[in-house]
This record gives sequence, structure tokens and C-alpha cells, in this order.
Amino acid sequence: MIEFREVSVRYPRRDVEALSAVSLTAARGALTAVVGPNGSGKSTLVRALVGRVPVAGGAILVNGTPVDESGRRSLATRVAVVVQREEPAFPLQVREYVALGRYPHLGLFRAPSRGDRAAVDDALARMAAAHLADRSISELSGGEWQRVRLARAVAQGADAIVLDEPTTFLDIAHEMGVFELMSRLAREGRAVLLVSHQLNLVARFADHIVLLHRGHVAACGAPADVMQGAVLERVYEWPLVITRDPAVGALALVPLRSPARD
Amino acid sequence: MRLSRWLLLVAVLLLATVLGVAYGTLHLSLVDVLHGVTGTGSATEVAVVRQLRLPRVLLAALVGAGLGASGAALQGATRNGLAEPYLLGVSGGAAVGAVIAVALHAPVAVVPLCGLAGALAAVALSLVVARASGGQGDARVVLMAGVVVGAFANAAIMVALAGVDANAVRGALWWMMGSAADASWVQVRALAACVAIGVALLLGLARAIDLLALGEDAAAGMGVNVARVTLAVYVAGALLAAGTVAAAGLVGFVGLLVPHLARMAGARTHRSIIGAAALGGGALVVLADLAARVAHPPAELPLGAVTAILGVPFFLARLRKLT
Amino acid sequence: MLFAIRVRHLTATASWVVLAGVLACGRAAPPTRGAHDDFGDTIAAAVAPRRIVSLNPTTTELLYAIGAGDRLVGRTSWDLYPPRVRDVPDLGPGLRPNVEAVIAARPDLVILYASDDNRDAARRLRAAGVRTVAFRVDRIADFARVTLELGRLTGDTVSARTTVDTVEATLARVRATTSALPRPTAFWILWESPLLAVGGGSFLNELLAVAGARNVYDSLPGPSPAVSFEDLLRRDPDLILASPASRQHILADPRWRALRAVRAGRVLVFDTTIVNGPSERVGASAVSLARLLHPGAL
Repeated sequence: MIEFREVSVRYPRRDVEALSAVSLTAARGALTAVVGPNGSGKSTLVRALVGRVPVAGGAILVNGTPVDESGRRSLATRVAVVVQREEPAFPLQVREYVALGRYPHLGLFRAPSRGDRAAVDDALARMAAAHLADRSISELSGGEWQRVRLARAVAQGADAIVLDEPTTFLDIAHEMGVFELMSRLAREGRAVLLVSHQLNLVARFADHIVLLHRGHVAACGAPADVMQGAVLERVYEWPLVITRDPAVGALALVPLRSPARD
Repeated sequence: MRLSRWLLLVAVLLLATVLGVAYGTLHLSLVDVLHGVTGTGSATEVAVVRQLRLPRVLLAALVGAGLGASGAALQGATRNGLAEPYLLGVSGGAAVGAVIAVALHAPVAVVPLCGLAGALAAVALSLVVARASGGQGDARVVLMAGVVVGAFANAAIMVALAGVDANAVRGALWWMMGSAADASWVQVRALAACVAIGVALLLGLARAIDLLALGEDAAAGMGVNVARVTLAVYVAGALLAAGTVAAAGLVGFVGLLVPHLARMAGARTHRSIIGAAALGGGALVVLADLAARVAHPPAELPLGAVTAILGVPFFLARLRKLT
Repeated sequence: MLFAIRVRHLTATASWVVLAGVLACGRAAPPTRGAHDDFGDTIAAAVAPRRIVSLNPTTTELLYAIGAGDRLVGRTSWDLYPPRVRDVPDLGPGLRPNVEAVIAARPDLVILYASDDNRDAARRLRAAGVRTVAFRVDRIADFARVTLELGRLTGDTVSARTTVDTVEATLARVRATTSALPRPTAFWILWESPLLAVGGGSFLNELLAVAGARNVYDSLPGPSPAVSFEDLLRRDPDLILASPASRQHILADPRWRALRAVRAGRVLVFDTTIVNGPSERVGASAVSLARLLHPGAL
């Protein structure tokens, strides 16, 4: 379980706080999504979790323990983070790359055991990427690369997974695949925290949504509670309507054309 | 990297070593060389092989290994294929120390120690400057501090050479262009210790470097203390380079080139890359030293010039491949 | 005449030897008969100078030797012989000299070292109305020529003639004595790292020949070529000449024991710093060197 309690973050030499007393909880067995416009602080949340930005106020707790009381490596055995941008400088094989996910358990010196190798194979199988194991990561397509990244996070063997915009550059099939996987991981008992701007997919898959606006929590709750036209229009600063499509019954946000055109 | 490649690399290093001991301006048959090694030959044979060629070849191999490993680790940690071992002002600081020693006509044995002192001072100064700028946790600030220190060192070298006699200038330039000519067993032992420790340290950090190579955010997400590990790699790499500079002056291109060759040969994780770069770097510098000795008798070419001659076409080729 | 060997540091002289040879690459046209200096410029006839600036240690020595030393008002930092030259103001380097400092000394004759580096200084001094001549005293043959030329310039033609004759007589005597003796091969070390030898282009090479030895690097045209240690091993000279400091290092370094000369104890000390170039002391140097190489012969 991941909990942010009144967390405030201010980037150096900036006047405005990136996050202001933000509180949210990503519970076990649920898919929690953080959404909001650009600059609302979504990625800052993830950075604060991994210690890349200093937390000015409040606390972040994982399974009840504040993160600054655990070592970085120990924390990584409990939370697997898939960051937004990852550009490996040098080519690795897929299997080697996924095996890097075992680092939090192995540290610098311990040799991988059979259990570690099994975790890697298992993760590849679950992400339907076993056939890619011997390929170089520089040769993968966008969809394959995302699956492999998720496999690495799964191989980390943590109870909680945090993903920052995992579906960028993916087409429909791959996007749905990723969301279905995240849903499955949550149902298996993990706490899954997802940062995404894909509001419609989030509405369909998430159990709990947190809407951020300029570093504050503007709304939070079940999808039906958050997908309200008034608050979304205010936050996204664009006219829109919320519909429910007749075929699947999914809530969807439909942005309207700019009024000046009429 | 496949086992066969590793064996090939080791074989190349051994072959280079044998060639380095067997060949030179003074013609010795292989039998004579063998007699020299075992001590049963004439005084000249024994002296040439044991006091001249063997320490020189071993020194060259150690210099190459140190530079290769350092370059590989630094390229991984900075995610930049153009990083090289003389970061943190090591080359500039070492040159200042050595040039001042040469200008003061210090004995030849003292010059490397002054070079080492200069290199260590430069590394320390870079860290101090970074701390004073408030960024000792940020590796980029440390790098920039190193650039500043290096620039200052270059200016100091110009000043040191300004009023000095012509032979001392020649001696200073000779040192700065790199050479294994003054190799002694004392130096070989000292450098062996330095390289063993340095390479072991870097191999120990190899897994963390693999993670750093994915990006700082990604590495942090997997539990790496990015600031601390990056700094550790920089300092270990710089100290390893400082040791090689003390022994043989400035030998450029090796630390830059050899990691690329290691990756091209199929080394993927940094444990392999650093190891392969150490072996490959050793072989390269041994062969470069051999070329320096026999290419233009009776004079010797500077070692740094030979490695540069090898490096330039390689990088031109890479450039063409990129564009 | 006997001059005691003064032990001084190797490089000051070696540097001028190097400069002399290295800059010989910028050789001007060979001086023609008649009043021309080594840049090929005419030496106009004029009243004997009373304020001379000499920017070359060898010409400074020669001026003292012919009796014109008390007229010196400027020298270079490298001019250190005879000792009383220290009272003469130091005007800085002899190559690319500080022209303003030279002009400020109000000389009526400036003697430059004839290398291309100094052409600009010569031009600027002449443009400022200062009488300037450039000489090169790199080889023993230059000694006689330039000494006589200086004598003509300063009006000390008689003492110039005497100086030249004395030295040439000494050199002839040494040559004659050593020509009958066996000529050992020699290596003369100027610098240890890189290993610099006295080469065929240096007057020290000529000195060695006069004193009855053969330089193993006589065939290399430069004055101070860099050589590899193994090449030296290949030539394996009979004896080695070195400065006192170098001799110490050589004896302490196990590598040098590969050489016959070191094993046989034939590492001789001859401090080249006492002779900047072929000045009037070259005769005495030849005698000292010959005595060193052939004990008891002279």
C-alpha cells in the first residue's frame, strides 16, 4: 500500500509549489489512477516517491513505513516504479534487462539464484514477452518495449507497482493490453498506482481516481464520482461533456470544439 | 559476451605481450629472448629483456587496462559514449605537477610522483569546487568543476613553461605526449596495485552502472542511490586514470575507444564491458608501445601520438555510421 | 691553459646547444665575403660602438675575450660567463627579445642570434635606428669568423686576432696529439627523458672529434636528437659522457648496466654547462675533454 500524506514539493528556485499538501492512497488489490492536465504535478508525485525531488512537507509511506526511513534498495523491493522516460544508452538483451529488476534483492554482489532466474522467466511469460528474451532491446517495437519494461517491474517482485504514463506511443491494441495487465496485477493483490492522461481508459479500468490540478487534489473517488463535467471542465480548462456509451456502458469524456469556431 | 570471445581477447593480450618482449630496435632472436627471460643469456640479453622490455610491456598493459576500465565505467555512468578517463581535470592536474617537476630539473624518477600529486590535487579540487557551488550531490556539477580545474591547469602549464630552457620544454612535452620508456619494476608494482584495486572497485559497481545506464530516474526507481554511486564511479575512474598518468604520462584515446570496441565485440552488461575493456585496452597499449619503439628508429614516437593515430580513423568511421 | 671544470647544472648550456642546432633549421644564406652578417644584411662601416647589447651568451663571452666587455650595457638571462657579466643589466631572452627593453638601454650596437625567430626583432630595432647585426656561433668554424667580425666592429682587431690564433693553436695541438691515439666510440647524454644525445649538428660533436673520440650518433644531423634506449644498446659505445647528476642516475639505474661502458666503469663526467657554445673557451674545453678521454696524453 502506498500512501501520500499532505505531501508538498517545491522545485528549487520556483515560486509555486509543484505539489501542495496532496494526500492519496493506493490500496492493495486496487488500481488507483492519478490524472490531471500537464503541469498538475502527476510526475512530481512519482519523483517524490523515488527520492529524485526533495519533499518539503508531509510524508510518503509504503506499507506503513515512511520512505525516508527505509534504504532505497529496500524500498525498491516493496515498490516497483516504471518511470516515464527510459532511454537505455547501450543495448542489452531483453532477458538481461529484465534481470536488472532483481537488483533490489541482489545488491551489487550477490549472484542471481535459481529463484531470481525463475522470477525473470515468470515475468517474461506473464507479459507475453518470453519469445523476445534473446532479442536486443534496441530492436523492439514500441509495444514490445513497453511490455518488456513492465516485465522488469514484475520481476522486481514488489507488492506495489507505480507506472508513470506507461502507454505513450502505443496503439489501441497495446494500450488495452497494458491496461488489462495492470488491472490483472491489481486483482492479484498488488497496489497499482498509475499516472496517466488517458482519462477514458482510466475511467474504464481504475478502481479509484485522483484528479490533480496545479498541485492540489481537485477530486478523488470512484470513476463515476470523478467523471463529472463541471469539475473536469474547470480543471482541464476546455469545454467538454461526459457521456456513457450505449455499447459497453463506459463513461467517456468528449471535448467540444472551440467556441470561437461557431 | 561469449566465452570464445573472452578467450580470444585473452589470447590477443598474451600475444601482444609476447610480441612486445620479442621485438625492439635491438634485434634478438626468440631463443635469445627466452634466455633473457630465464636469466641464462648474455648480460645484454638479460638486461634488455628483464630491465627494459618486460617492465615496459607490463607497464603498457597495466596503463591500457586501467584506462580501458575507467573509460568503460565512466561511459556507462554518464550514459555518454564520449566520456573518457581524464575527467575531473586529471590530465591537466597531472601535467601541471609533472611539468613543474621537469622545469625544476627534478630527477626522472621524481616526475611521475609529481604528476600523481597533481592529478590527486585536481580530483580533490574538483570535488571541493563542486561542494562550494552547492552541488556536490549532482554529478554534473562535479563534472563541470573538473572542466574548470582542467582549464586552470592548462593555463598553469603555459606559465610554467614560459621561462624554461629548451631541453626542459622538450622533456615536458615528451611527458605530456605519453611514454612507457622509463618503466621500472618499482613503477610496475605500484601501478599493478593501483589498477587491481581500481578495476575491482569498478567491477563491483558494475551492476549499479547498468542501472544508471538506463537513466537516472529509472535507476532511482530500482533502488540505486544515484548521486552516491555516480560520484563513486567518477572518483574511482579518475583515480585509476591518475595512476596511469603518473606511470606513463597522457595516453589519449584509449579510454575513449576501447569501451566502444568492447561493446562492438558483444559485451553488454558493464561487468563484461569493463572486463573486456581492461583486457582490450591492455593489448592495445602494448601494441601501440611496440609501434612507438620500432616505427621510426633511432627515435621513439610518443605513445599518445600512436594511440591518437589509431583513434582518429576509428571515430571518423563511427561518425559516418551515425550520419 | 687550464680551466678548472666548474660543476654547474646541465641544462643551461645544453639548452643553447639545442637552440643553436634546432634553429639552424632557420638558416639564413651563408655569409658572403665582405661586410655581411648571418642574416645576409650588410654591416655598414661606422664609428666603434660604446654601448653594446649582446643577446647571445657566446658573443657575450667573445666580446669579453677581445676586450670589449666593459662596453656591454645589456645581455640575456642565459649569459653567465665570465662572472662579472652579472653586473650587466639582464634584458630577458635572446630569442624574440624584448625590443623595448633593448632600445631603452640606448645601445649603439645590438648583436642578435641569427635565427628566424629574431628577424622581426632585427627589423624593429633597425626601424628604431639602432645598429643591429646577427651572428650564429654554432660550429667551431663560426668561432674564428665571428670573433674576427666582432673585432672589426668594436675596433679590437688585434686582440680578436690574438684570441683566434691562440685557440686555433690549442685546437691544432689537441688534434695532432689525439690523431695518433685509438679513437673510442662515445655517447654524450644531454637529457634523460626523452633520451637526448649530442648529435652530428652540435659543436660538442666537433669537440669530441678533436679530443679523439667518435660520437656514435655522429651520423644524425640534428644537434640534440632523441634516441631510444634500445638503439643506444645496439650501438653499445665504449664510453659515456654525462653531467654529474646524470652519471649518478645512470649508475643507479639497472637498465643502463646493459651497456658495456657502464659495466666497465667508463661513465665520464664532463659538464657541458661551462661551455655555452664555441667561445674562446673551446680550446681549453678540447684540452680538458682530451685529457678525460686519453689520460696522460696531454
